[in-house]
Amino acid sequence: MSTPQDEVEPKEIEEFRVEVRAWMEANKPADPGFKLPQSFLEVESDRQFDFLRDWQRKVYEAGYLGLDWPAEYGGKGDPLKRQRVVSQELSRARAPFLVNVIGLQWAGPTILVYGTDAQKKRMLKPILSAEEIWCQGFSEPGSGSDLASAQARAEKQGDGSYRVTGHKVWTTLAHKARWMILLARTDPSAGKYAGLSFFLFPMDVPGVEVQPLIKMTGEGGFNQVIFTDAPMPGDALLGKEGQGWDVALTTLLFERGAAEGSGGGQATASAESVRRLVSVARRARRDGGTAADDPVYRDRMVALWIEEEGLRLSSLRMRIPELNADRPQVLRLMNKLVFSEYNQKLTELACEMLGPEATLWLGDPCAIDRADWPRAYMNSFGMTIGGGTSEILRNVVGERVLGLPKTK
Amino acid sequence: MTQIPIDFGFREEHELLRQQSRRLLEERCPLSEVRRLSEDPLGWDPAVWKELGALGWVGLALPEAHGGAGLGFLPLSFVLEEMGRHLLPSPYLPSLLAAFAIENGGSEVQKARWLPGIASGEKIATLALTEPSGGFEAASVQATAEPTEGGWVLRGQKTHVLAATSAHFLVAPFREPSGRVELFVIELPAKGVCLETEIGVDATRRAARVAFEGVRVSREARLEGRGEVALRRTHVQGFAALAAEMVGAADAALAMTRDYAINRKQFGRQIGFFQAVKHPIVDILIGVELSRNHVLGAASALDHAPADAETAARMAKALASDVFAVAVRKGVQLHGGYGFTIDCDMHLLFKRALWSRATLGDGAYHRRLLAQALLDHDAAGAETS
Repeated sequence: MSTPQDEVEPKEIEEFRVEVRAWMEANKPADPGFKLPQSFLEVESDRQFDFLRDWQRKVYEAGYLGLDWPAEYGGKGDPLKRQRVVSQELSRARAPFLVNVIGLQWAGPTILVYGTDAQKKRMLKPILSAEEIWCQGFSEPGSGSDLASAQARAEKQGDGSYRVTGHKVWTTLAHKARWMILLARTDPSAGKYAGLSFFLFPMDVPGVEVQPLIKMTGEGGFNQVIFTDAPMPGDALLGKEGQGWDVALTTLLFERGAAEGSGGGQATASAESVRRLVSVARRARRDGGTAADDPVYRDRMVALWIEEEGLRLSSLRMRIPELNADRPQVLRLMNKLVFSEYNQKLTELACEMLGPEATLWLGDPCAIDRADWPRAYMNSFGMTIGGGTSEILRNVVGERVLGLPKTK
Repeated sequence: MTQIPIDFGFREEHELLRQQSRRLLEERCPLSEVRRLSEDPLGWDPAVWKELGALGWVGLALPEAHGGAGLGFLPLSFVLEEMGRHLLPSPYLPSLLAAFAIENGGSEVQKARWLPGIASGEKIATLALTEPSGGFEAASVQATAEPTEGGWVLRGQKTHVLAATSAHFLVAPFREPSGRVELFVIELPAKGVCLETEIGVDATRRAARVAFEGVRVSREARLEGRGEVALRRTHVQGFAALAAEMVGAADAALAMTRDYAINRKQFGRQIGFFQAVKHPIVDILIGVELSRNHVLGAASALDHAPADAETAARMAKALASDVFAVAVRKGVQLHGGYGFTIDCDMHLLFKRALWSRATLGDGAYHRRLLAQALLDHDAAGAETS
């Protein structure tokens, strides 16, 4: 994969930022008038999906996606810095999220690392344009945190193709996906790790059944996929047979934000920020005043503000190797853990401050912010559980950074 | 909170200073030495102090015109972090803060008079901020300065004054009859200055109660700049300096606990295998790294974005105070019975944590003031995302 050098001058970056910001202002879609999902985990209806896909295509066509991916695969071969600017500006503009998150942030970068030239040529551009949506087939009913125990079977046929049988869960966007990154067992007699291979699975073959799973918010978008003797061509293999666990670990680094190189964009409508929390506090009535006057809430809001600022400073510090000399990996490895827990505390605090107002749900005309807060609090668990639970990530950080004894 | 440079103003030479200070303190100040000095009447090693002066560490961030190196707060924060990591017993912090007060409030003549001596380490100085009421802000200054023929008469008390019994001069705020608070430099010893050594929890910090019983000082003893402004900036530098030290010390507590979790075996396993041990250690690590981010942010703001410095430094002091407290609380607990003996070095860090949190405002104190910035001014609230 390309290793972009940070050769672009800050001034150029600044000008680029101004350009992107102006473009966002001019092109950010208006409120469609129907409920939009808060993140890619709950895309349900066709109109939601079409709206989001059109938006991603527009961003790509404007030249703002895949900036750091090679030009021959639909990117621009620019420094990573420029893609970061776009992601930051998308977030700042509170623009809709980019729907092909799994393609842009997890599958694409993994293909860039392990893919053959043919795979890169075939797969990458339609990821950027959202023409082909991706989903992820890692977790199974019996393999969650212990991902390497996956049992889905990819059996090699005489002609070099495979047949897949098994059951994958939490497959966000499977109902819209053209492709799946699939972790499956090719050699049951090899060890737990050595028996796994990584595939780019075509979802349009027979023997694939996508069933919706409904989250506690009542929202769909989340699925399980059952494979019954589903055919898969030999060139679906990414990397080598038996190398699946290494490839999957690379994907997890991208998924957890521990490695950079995504095609761009953001996974949620916008990170809820302390700034929004303040606006909630000012509207939340308490004893004749508001929650913004309550010393206990004030203290908790500031504690979150300090965390938020700490995360922002992390993103600056991460780029200066000398400032990470003692523990080169730690900021990247802890980032998803800290961010997801911050987000959960923040959304819960908003509900707490809103009091009875936060008991109103979607559809109630009096619900504050269209019931965003109870919904965001419930959805926050997607981040503290998905992509490695907070508990697993504490193991990962303790073992890889501090050298504590391994759990597995 | 967006005005600091994206690289914090970091330069290669800063890194060299960090490595140099770590190496030197590893050599000069192992914990056995900290223990020895804890029992020593003076409380620090004059030879090491001389060496720090010769290396230019006291004047690192002071202006070149007055004997300093003019390198800024960022490299200073690296040195402070290493001093915290090694629990260096030293008059460094009080001298540094006194020098900042003089730099912030003094005229060129006053700076030229006092700063070079401090910068070279020849003179030890201290800053007396806290009063018996417990407050250290301008509003809580009750000690008075009355004008008299040719100068001022100072009365009142200051507590927890570091290195007071060794200091050649002492900087402190006093209230004038007009109600204004101004900074004064008192050269020691002086008639009417009574020192009573405190018996402190943290034996690496030597402090005294200081009573000013009609101390006569010259007109030039009053720093010419506006006292409250100079004092406030000195506070901000103090928050950041203490936070930097605390990050180093909390990191030392983390390292000690991590090593113990690897070496100690129970139930036939290293105890760090158990998640009830592993996860709290990881939480300390995360706290240490986030605090370090804030120290970088505060140092960078002091160097490059003065308008952001107060918020950044309060954040750093608030978080580091709490993180250090958790690091030593869990540090003692996870060392088990050994952790709570005097043989285990953790108590040295534990006592420093009590001192550091209590000095210049704890987490709750700073969060209360940060809340005003976040919630009581629209502009500040809007700048937070």
